[in-house]
Amino acid sequence: MFEIRDVHVAYGSVTALRGVSLEVHPGEIVCLLGANGAGKSTTLRTVSGLLHPLRGEVLLRGQPIHRLSAEAIAKLGISHVPEGRRVFPGLTVRENLVLGASNRPVRRQELEDDMAQMYHSFPDLERLKHALGWTLSGGQQQMLAIARGLMARPQVLLMDEPSLGLAPILVQEVFRVIKEINTRGTTVLLVEQNASMALAISHRGYVMETGQIVLQGAAQDLLRDPQVKDAYLGGRKAG
Amino acid sequence: MTKDDVAKAAARSWLKPGYLALALGAVVVILLPLLFTSRYTTNLLILGASWGIATLGLVVVLGYAGQISLAQAAFYGLGAYAVALGTTRWGVNWWFALVLGLLAAILAGAVLGSATLKLGGHYLAMVTICFQIIYTLITTNWIAVTGGPDGISNIKRPPFLVPLNTAQRYAWFALAALLLVAGLVWWLRDTALGRAMRAIRENELAAEALGVDTRRVKVIAFTLSAVIGALGGAIYASGYLYISPDSFNFDHAVAFLAMVLVGGSESPLGAILGATLLTFLPEWLRELKRIYLVIYGTVIILVIVFMPEGLWGYVRLASRRFARPSALPSARRPLRVGGRGEAGEEILQVERLVKHFGGVKAVDGVDFTVRRGEIHALIGPNGSGKTTIINLLSGLYVPTAGRLHFLGRDIVGLRPNRISHSGMARSFQNVRLFRELSVWENVLVGAQREEGSEAETRDRAMAAIEFVGLPDRAHEICRNLPYGHQKLVELARALAGEPDLLLLDEPGAGLNQTEKQELIRLLKRLNDMGLTILIVEHDMSLVSQVATRATVLNFGEKIAEGTTDEVLRHAAVVEAYLGDREVALGV
Repeated sequence: MFEIRDVHVAYGSVTALRGVSLEVHPGEIVCLLGANGAGKSTTLRTVSGLLHPLRGEVLLRGQPIHRLSAEAIAKLGISHVPEGRRVFPGLTVRENLVLGASNRPVRRQELEDDMAQMYHSFPDLERLKHALGWTLSGGQQQMLAIARGLMARPQVLLMDEPSLGLAPILVQEVFRVIKEINTRGTTVLLVEQNASMALAISHRGYVMETGQIVLQGAAQDLLRDPQVKDAYLGGRKAG
Repeated sequence: MTKDDVAKAAARSWLKPGYLALALGAVVVILLPLLFTSRYTTNLLILGASWGIATLGLVVVLGYAGQISLAQAAFYGLGAYAVALGTTRWGVNWWFALVLGLLAAILAGAVLGSATLKLGGHYLAMVTICFQIIYTLITTNWIAVTGGPDGISNIKRPPFLVPLNTAQRYAWFALAALLLVAGLVWWLRDTALGRAMRAIRENELAAEALGVDTRRVKVIAFTLSAVIGALGGAIYASGYLYISPDSFNFDHAVAFLAMVLVGGSESPLGAILGATLLTFLPEWLRELKRIYLVIYGTVIILVIVFMPEGLWGYVRLASRRFARPSALPSARRPLRVGGRGEAGEEILQVERLVKHFGGVKAVDGVDFTVRRGEIHALIGPNGSGKTTIINLLSGLYVPTAGRLHFLGRDIVGLRPNRISHSGMARSFQNVRLFRELSVWENVLVGAQREEGSEAETRDRAMAAIEFVGLPDRAHEICRNLPYGHQKLVELARALAGEPDLLLLDEPGAGLNQTEKQELIRLLKRLNDMGLTILIVEHDMSLVSQVATRATVLNFGEKIAEGTTDEVLRHAAVVEAYLGDREVALGV
């Protein structure tokens, strides 16, 4: 589906990615694990065109896209759900959702159908559809950000920590929704701290450290990998 | 410390770049009037010095406290008129007239500062503009007192050690005053007050929650800026011996703002640089006649667009490699958190707490108590009112109804800074650091208390930084830290006030497993030291490892409470919150 080849990215003088290569096949869920500051979000931002690589390339179906603007990339069907609940605070939930579809020409009825679908997946949003973005609780904002990303009917969905700050029951719901979106044909690249749940729904995974990919493999293998278990799966063992 | 060490430390502190700059400044003050001896350039030096002083006032209010002011020319004018009227019509001593002018500025600054309490951003800009315009109207039209548009002439110069009867001598006087004010403003930056101002600029809410009396500090910032502006005006009036309202109008207020922005609003030296440039630039461009204003304006735009930190930003970047901050001494005592009291006593009582936002019942009659020495979890679905309760406890919201008692005191209606001083500290869900300040400065703001010396504040701050394991990064600017470290800084900042009770709003969010395990160890250590913690968190594995008791909310109401194990088995909790219990607990 898309591929990153030997990408180097820097913020000013600080190098964030040093030669990252990864590929995501059509229909896959691929998760990207790693510590804070390892370069996971930077990788997503590079794919969606918010950042441009110093070296290396990003290919979508074999075509280079790393020089395109974020807007042009969104129109090609790559939708980015950023970290940290970036909803439009002064717009209602409904308006936020409508804006999510602004990457594509859409009929009114189609828009309503898509929104109904979102309300079905996230019932809280239907109840709050006329509420302004900033009045939502943190978790509700996260749901809205995901739903808005889905309104683009993306072929590729880039998700940055979708479970951040959500109640356990909603975390389970979010992962269920991601799985469902995926079975309906959307390819997903997922950045998550909740590594065990992310790997449970993923096909493959990559592990990043200090701007490089240090490990990759099928999700099942990563779940059993002692290194991954130690650093990212944890469990109930702190003393 | 031995005598030798003290001497060495003293020697080091005199080598600080700031002192060197002051010494260099003194040399420049002496040299300038000797080098530029024509009447015209000497007058420009006097003008530049007085404008520089006015601009230094803006460093305090805009650069430090982050409050916009477009009324600086009015304060400048207050000082000028006080000296002009005092030495001509009223016939009083210059210095006495100056004091009158400064008092008038204090009064006006405090009044205008009070306007900042409810306003910010463009509203505040509007209010200051109105103040400036009213000032101009009064000085122009109240002819009986001010002389109106004709102005006042024959203004006297101040009696001084030597008679200031030549332009050159007066230029020395004016430049020395500029240097003195610059030194004071520079010194203010790293005092408790200066830090509080900069904390307000970076994040007013967090500053208030950490114990900074933001209202008082903002009024002080405005007042200081007004006084400094008036001093500049007084020096101007006696330099030119004649004033009229034209010199103190809105155009000048904008020019002062441009000077501080072009120079670099956070730095006294930058302000002087900006004032110098914008004093002399029009004179150099005078030849160009009609287009000089165009070029003048273009230079300002270019500097602001391409050097957002002003000219000084560049100097600072260049000088960073030479002036590396010195290592901080380690704390002389460990962190003392948890207060003194018996374990098990009730330190926080929440009774029928209600908070409505319009029609939304965010919290609807919640009761619970927190006992000394426990880690108490507040859990529940998103939107169930947990963060609202943290905000009510810390005073950011005022309850619609209900009672809150902390350490036996009713805290309903107390401002956040008072509650913070009474021994309650908090963190924020979306990290709210003072992003442009260093780790050290962030934690110092948290450590500031009314009683006790700066040395004790520093000890508390260092102890907190050492506790979270960040002494090596103390001088780094928080904005540049990775997220996990930012969370630790926020924790250290909350601990530095040595609270009895710590409120944590989702401390684990965004941390990976390794970092979470580290957090769990830190929380357990804090608890062992006697600190009581109320924690809001969605990671049930984390909650079940640290919390002894838990209260569960749903739709603003309490649906369960008890020991953490009991609560996490409660049917209603599983249904509303946990979903698949095993997945949620990560077992």
